[in-house]
Amino acid sequence: MLDSRAFGRFARSPSGVAGAAIVAALITFALLGPALAGHGPLDSDFARGMGPGGMPVGPGAAFPLGADRLFRDVFARLATAGRLSLLIATAATLIAAALGAFVGIVSGWYEGARVPVPWPAAIGVATGLGALGLGQRGVAAIAAGAGLAAAIWRRSPGPRVDLDALLMRLVDAMLAFPFLLLVMAVGAALDRTSALTMLVTLGATGWLGIARLLRAKTMQVRALDYVEASRALGQSTGQIMLRHVLPNVAGPLIVTATVQVAQMIVADSVLSYLGVGISPPTPTWGRMLLEGQDYYLAAPWLVAAPGLAILLAVWGFNMLGEGLRDAIDPREA
Amino acid sequence: MNRFARRLAWSAVVVWAAVSVAFALNTLLPGDPARMVSGPQARPADVARIREQLGLDRAPLVQYARFWRRLVHLGPRVVERDGAPEHAGCVAVLPLGPSAVHVSLGKSFQMRQPVVEIIAVRLPRTLALAVAGLLVQLSLGVAAGTFAAVRRGAWIDRALVGTSLLGVSAPTFLIALLLQYVFSRQLRWLPLDGFGSTLADHARCLVLPALTLGIYGAAFYTRLVRDEMLVLLRQDWVRTAYAKGLPRWQVVVRHGLRNAAVPVVTALGLDFGSLMGGAIVTETVFRWPGLGELSVRAMLDRDGPVVCGCVVVTAVAIVATNLAVDLVYARLDPRVTVPRAPRTR
Repeated sequence: MLDSRAFGRFARSPSGVAGAAIVAALITFALLGPALAGHGPLDSDFARGMGPGGMPVGPGAAFPLGADRLFRDVFARLATAGRLSLLIATAATLIAAALGAFVGIVSGWYEGARVPVPWPAAIGVATGLGALGLGQRGVAAIAAGAGLAAAIWRRSPGPRVDLDALLMRLVDAMLAFPFLLLVMAVGAALDRTSALTMLVTLGATGWLGIARLLRAKTMQVRALDYVEASRALGQSTGQIMLRHVLPNVAGPLIVTATVQVAQMIVADSVLSYLGVGISPPTPTWGRMLLEGQDYYLAAPWLVAAPGLAILLAVWGFNMLGEGLRDAIDPREA
Repeated sequence: MNRFARRLAWSAVVVWAAVSVAFALNTLLPGDPARMVSGPQARPADVARIREQLGLDRAPLVQYARFWRRLVHLGPRVVERDGAPEHAGCVAVLPLGPSAVHVSLGKSFQMRQPVVEIIAVRLPRTLALAVAGLLVQLSLGVAAGTFAAVRRGAWIDRALVGTSLLGVSAPTFLIALLLQYVFSRQLRWLPLDGFGSTLADHARCLVLPALTLGIYGAAFYTRLVRDEMLVLLRQDWVRTAYAKGLPRWQVVVRHGLRNAAVPVVTALGLDFGSLMGGAIVTETVFRWPGLGELSVRAMLDRDGPVVCGCVVVTAVAIVATNLAVDLVYARLDPRVTVPRAPRTR
């Protein structure tokens, strides 16, 4: 995948190099920034942060990027928020990539076939859904869990289901659902406060495009001769998926995931900007922008700093993804 | 035709599933709509009474069945505001003898109004924004993409491609803030946000949100048109057209752009579908009272019927445009499909 020739192609791609540089700079900033800043991200400094007329002071010696309305250091807040934002975006992308890869590979592998689902699993899922509808959440969870456990424990043949059609219609339905509403709803269900719930929410809703892409790629791979050969040699379906299909779809997966990080940063900052992201006082880029925008005539740095940070981060990951695409998948460039 | 019927059936399934997800979310979300409606000072007895009025005391499955049964049904010819409570959220759409066909998405918990009416007021606004935004992004994108393809490899090409990636990277609210700053604060040409009261006001208020959507979307179209044109301009018929002495712009427009129309129209169709659900961020920043702004507020207010209504409209719009694009596309060019990922605007 990323052999020396691919690396050479990456090194020659201007957007790839620029993207890698921006991303590296961002990571450095997020890691070292909070330590370099003279202030904590939540500390108000009334002595040095307050300028004439009670307004926050602009960029200067004490505050490299100025102070905000509560006389906190914008630089320290920007770095802390960046740390959080990068962490959330990366972790959410990992979740989304894992989910999307799983659904995509399973769906693509079984495309056009009916898969036997063990009876306990089928009954468990049906009971779970029924109990959910009747408002018995506890019963639903127990039924679904017991069904799954029984299914794993004893694999009895059951009803044959077109798994691919089922999964793809689920993807269609979720894509037909307004993406932000979905994220907000899941966020509200999870109490929507901490970074953990944020990244779980984004990960649980961001896998749809990846699943579609990997399904198409898997359908190409499963038709290849060596897959047939390994099956003839007696490898199980799971082994083939892990050893032959996954490595062969890893290239497009990495490229999409890189671009997805950019999308996650956008989604994270949009949610914070709409006021449904991580709760204050924890700094986030979106929230800093929201709080700063009313003062942008008097204190333009309050908008410029988080705005540029978001733009740079998203741009950097987009360019990195573009460079990786040129390197890994030159035909599709 | 058989294929078409199957596609149609699957589309119905997708809409049903999306609405079911919305319904499930409404029942699973923590928080009590009855409490939200009655306010923090209400006595428990009042909260219970309101819960019963809203039908929230029934099991979710019963509420769910009621939702679908109510969606389209027969009822009295004229729906009175204070008439029978079972038709309180209805809008009569088609008179049928002494009765009429009713459409109902229930009644909003917060606004005490039929959801169908609320959506009917807001749908034209979202439609106007979607059409205006698409016009901007189409003209910007096609112009920039064509220009870049014709000047392939020149600095202007690189600049346009680089700018387009930057445009894709700018979240809509950043573009919106920048436009507000330049055109509203500095130049004072256009209102900052809002909707206005006269038609001229509406038009003036529409410009900035439409530009925001357009600039954001144009980046994608620039790349699409450029890639398409690069392939097209290498074809033999283009060389032939040059050889017979056609001027350059005629070759580009008649032999290039015309052939690039298919993927562009496809992308346009899909974009239109997703914009009809409301450009949530753009509408919120500019306080444009369309469906996107409505759905966010309803979600925060735990106004279940309104959320479900918005999801119905969005899902139908997306599925219908997907279907239309597929059909048109299958007729024009059976070879290609255009994959799209969800985007945030």
